[in-house]
Amino acid sequence: MPRSKAPYWFVGPALFLMFVILLLPIGIASIMSFTNYSLGNSGAEFVGLENYEKIFTRSTYEKMFGATFRYVFVVVPLSVGLGLGAALLINSTKRFGDLYKTIYFLPVMAALIAMAIVWEFAFHPTIGIVNSTLERGCGTFLEVWGWYAHGCERGFPLWLTDRDYAIWTVAFIGVWQGFGFNMVLYLAGLTSVPRELYQAAEMDGAKSAWDRFRLVTWPMLGPTTVFVATISFIRSFQVFDTVEAFYPQGGGPSKSVYVMMFAIYEKAIQQNLMGIGAAITVVFLAFVMFLTLVQRWLVERRVHYS
Amino acid sequence: MAAISLKAIEKSFGDTSVLEGINLDIAPGEFLTLVGPSGCGKSTLLRILAGLEAPSSGDVLIDGRKVNQVRPADRNLAMVFQSYALYPHLTVGQNMMTPLRLRDLSFAERLPFAGPLLARSKYKVLWAQVTETAKILQIDHLLDRKPGQLSGGQRQRAALGRAMVRKPAGFLMDEPLSNLDAALRIHMRSELAELHRSLATTFVYVTHDQAEALTMSDRMAVMMDGNILQLGTPDEIYNNPRDIRVAEFVGAPKINLLPGHLDSNGHARCGGVVLTRVAATSSDKITIGLRPEHLSLCDDTDPEALKGRVVHKENLGADIYLHISMKDGAHRLVVRAAPLDGVAVSIGQDIAFKRHHGAAMIFEAGGKRIGLDNNAGTAVAEVA
Amino acid sequence: MSDTTLSSTSTVSLPAFRFSAAETLKHAVLIFGSLIVLLPFYVMVSYSFKSPAEIMQNIGGFFGAQEAFRDDYCIKLGNDEADCMVTPIIYNYTTAFEKAPLIRYLLNGVIVTASIFFIQVLVALPCAYALAKLRFWGREAVFGLVLFCLLIPVHAIALPLYIMLAKVGLTNTYAALIIPWTISVFGIFLMRQFFMTVPDDLIDAARMDGMNEFSIIWNVMLPTAIPALLAFAIFSVVAHWNDYFWPRIVITGDRSLFTPPLGLREFKGDADGDNFGPMMATATIIVAPLIVAFLIAQRRFIEGITLSGMK
Repeated sequence: MPRSKAPYWFVGPALFLMFVILLLPIGIASIMSFTNYSLGNSGAEFVGLENYEKIFTRSTYEKMFGATFRYVFVVVPLSVGLGLGAALLINSTKRFGDLYKTIYFLPVMAALIAMAIVWEFAFHPTIGIVNSTLERGCGTFLEVWGWYAHGCERGFPLWLTDRDYAIWTVAFIGVWQGFGFNMVLYLAGLTSVPRELYQAAEMDGAKSAWDRFRLVTWPMLGPTTVFVATISFIRSFQVFDTVEAFYPQGGGPSKSVYVMMFAIYEKAIQQNLMGIGAAITVVFLAFVMFLTLVQRWLVERRVHYS
Repeated sequence: MAAISLKAIEKSFGDTSVLEGINLDIAPGEFLTLVGPSGCGKSTLLRILAGLEAPSSGDVLIDGRKVNQVRPADRNLAMVFQSYALYPHLTVGQNMMTPLRLRDLSFAERLPFAGPLLARSKYKVLWAQVTETAKILQIDHLLDRKPGQLSGGQRQRAALGRAMVRKPAGFLMDEPLSNLDAALRIHMRSELAELHRSLATTFVYVTHDQAEALTMSDRMAVMMDGNILQLGTPDEIYNNPRDIRVAEFVGAPKINLLPGHLDSNGHARCGGVVLTRVAATSSDKITIGLRPEHLSLCDDTDPEALKGRVVHKENLGADIYLHISMKDGAHRLVVRAAPLDGVAVSIGQDIAFKRHHGAAMIFEAGGKRIGLDNNAGTAVAEVA
Repeated sequence: MSDTTLSSTSTVSLPAFRFSAAETLKHAVLIFGSLIVLLPFYVMVSYSFKSPAEIMQNIGGFFGAQEAFRDDYCIKLGNDEADCMVTPIIYNYTTAFEKAPLIRYLLNGVIVTASIFFIQVLVALPCAYALAKLRFWGREAVFGLVLFCLLIPVHAIALPLYIMLAKVGLTNTYAALIIPWTISVFGIFLMRQFFMTVPDDLIDAARMDGMNEFSIIWNVMLPTAIPALLAFAIFSVVAHWNDYFWPRIVITGDRSLFTPPLGLREFKGDADGDNFGPMMATATIIVAPLIVAFLIAQRRFIEGITLSGMK
């Protein structure tokens, strides 16, 4: 091939944008995280590790990490598990599989902010469909369940405004929104499992569905699981829309839903505390990159069979 | 060792009928091959036998016991798959141990981590069986490898090992050699046949390769369009096919087929060729089949010489096959020549050849074989 | 679903060992899941049909009684009571468009998502082509950089991006909505993987025909990449139509730049009891385009959204 400059013209714009839009901001955030910069002020002071110290010592940020990890560690296992479960069920039924697939995928397509507002209605303590449906179950066998009987007597939870329920309710919406995506990835993974392996398992004496799952399905879905889990981690770390929709100020009852993205937004955009916002950004990036690197390492090391 | 019987097996997928009433009895210890072109239903039949597929109707009997409702694992048959179907995440040793674990260990003993601790002695016994089998197949040095790290031939042995390790009553093999390269495939033929002799177990072997069927089996069943056309020893199938499709399918190069008719005396004729033997009937349309080895080169002075021109020459070393266009141009025949005779022949050359007496087969228009008699009384002198 | 029809289909591998009881149980679980998944959609559409009274009292089933009610706002404007009787469904949807410039929001959404996709392709396609098919000094380094940048979620670096845009005075502009998304490393990666599968012969033939590298990209590679581009388009459009976080940061106050999610949020901010219906109507209108498109071309959508599965 003749030496031409064409490749550089092709790569150039992308390279430029990568530097300016993706790499430069990381640099800026890193530098800013050591300052007390705020927009509109001329100049900024170097404050060393003060911002990071705050993040790892103050109770506000303790709550931030608590809320974030609580959210992540509920949403990831549940959305991965439900995604896998739905995929296995749909894959094993003979009819209506496509219909279920379509339904479960709908939340992925819908604007989360819109659905968050709808969920807020549904969870409304008095006119919401959730509690009114639960009340209908009062006086039936469901009251055997202590929690339910208590709800019938004293009223069902306030869900989004109750400190004990808020984070779990938000996490539920996260699972609702995300598991359909995981299901579709698992369905794709399932189609690539060779049928002969199931037959071999059948011949080898894997008689129960559980044995076949342990012997064939689960190991063969290894790469899919690693990927699905990573994607779910990164997505749930970035939760913002629901939190902002429900709690535009302050991050929920007693800051119990004060997740990292919301903290960045509140500190930096609402309160113009750029330094601390940048420090949270850096910590956040570190988490996400670490997770992705773990995923790549796992894909290459453990689940790569050939 | 198991006797296997298939009784009136039918199978259809939706509207398409794949098997149309198969009856087959397999003797204990026999090496039986199901052979036929792809789509003939041979694999489906094997899978029905294995229990991986349920027949639409008909019964499968193993040692006289009806097993239609018996799970594959409980039929005590092992299967070797075309793709080997080794579990890619397990080592060869673990792959081979899987059927033993599933058969001999309880649910708790199979648990990861805890299981091996709970039942150490049992695991030792199973592992001993695995290594023993691996030694027979000469893969004991590969037990710690994953299937992805093995060559095709090694994977093949690992798959065989997984089937052998639990000492099943019968082996089912679905085109096990088709993913190997040509040289290894031929080598594995003899190795499998040897294995069959040393294990003295029933083998049911599915292939589309007639050479594999001829070289390995005790008996072979030629299948086409969901039916068994003929069941017999390789020798019978090759030398005495009862159907033109069997004659065509078995043998390479293919049998030469010449259109002809049966005259009123029952002599088959095709152009100048007239057969000595007679059939009991007469017919306008028949086909005469002559295998390449039933033709040989001769002098053009020979009274029985047929003449033609060489259009193509296949040199296989031990044999040379000459494709000859007959003088009238209507037919082409393949003639086997000994290397010494064959090398001298060049393409485009006119050549004389003759056929061996008593070797030709004739088939009626529908494809059925017509029997011929050496009826010396009414013999007519053969012309050319 | 009747059990007899289920057990009669014998095309699956092990029909003899399946129980229709198990099948029924599976469907029960799946249907229960479907109900929970569909619940908010049901609430959204149903409320967008109902009158405020029906919403507050939680009556009227799915569609509401559709009895005309008095619009107090209309009365306040000094109209006659007879003129102010409205049917809930009409009231909800007309209010959605009247109370806020919803058309403008939708238009903004279209402008932003279309521009983002267009520029992404314009930048990514040549880069992907060069990475896949041209040999040049530094190619491996550039590809390594692409792989590294795949690690960075743009939302996570929103803060420094916001500061940069603020410094150059671009907040509250279309540019602010579009610029951060102009580079899609994922798009580059995806297209590069796709181009790797295009035979070199095709490109060499084009060169023999006298095409230069630019025309090869747009006349040869672009047409072959249509299926991958279509999937990427769906991926990109869904992400940016639904995006709320980034517009929330860079658009402050200027309603004429609001994207649909921002418009809905604004609506919610000043919603009172009477406005639940119109708000749900707005939500329905915003969610509907993608849902309808998805229902029409499900396979393509699922393919596009799960593209990220190829990483």
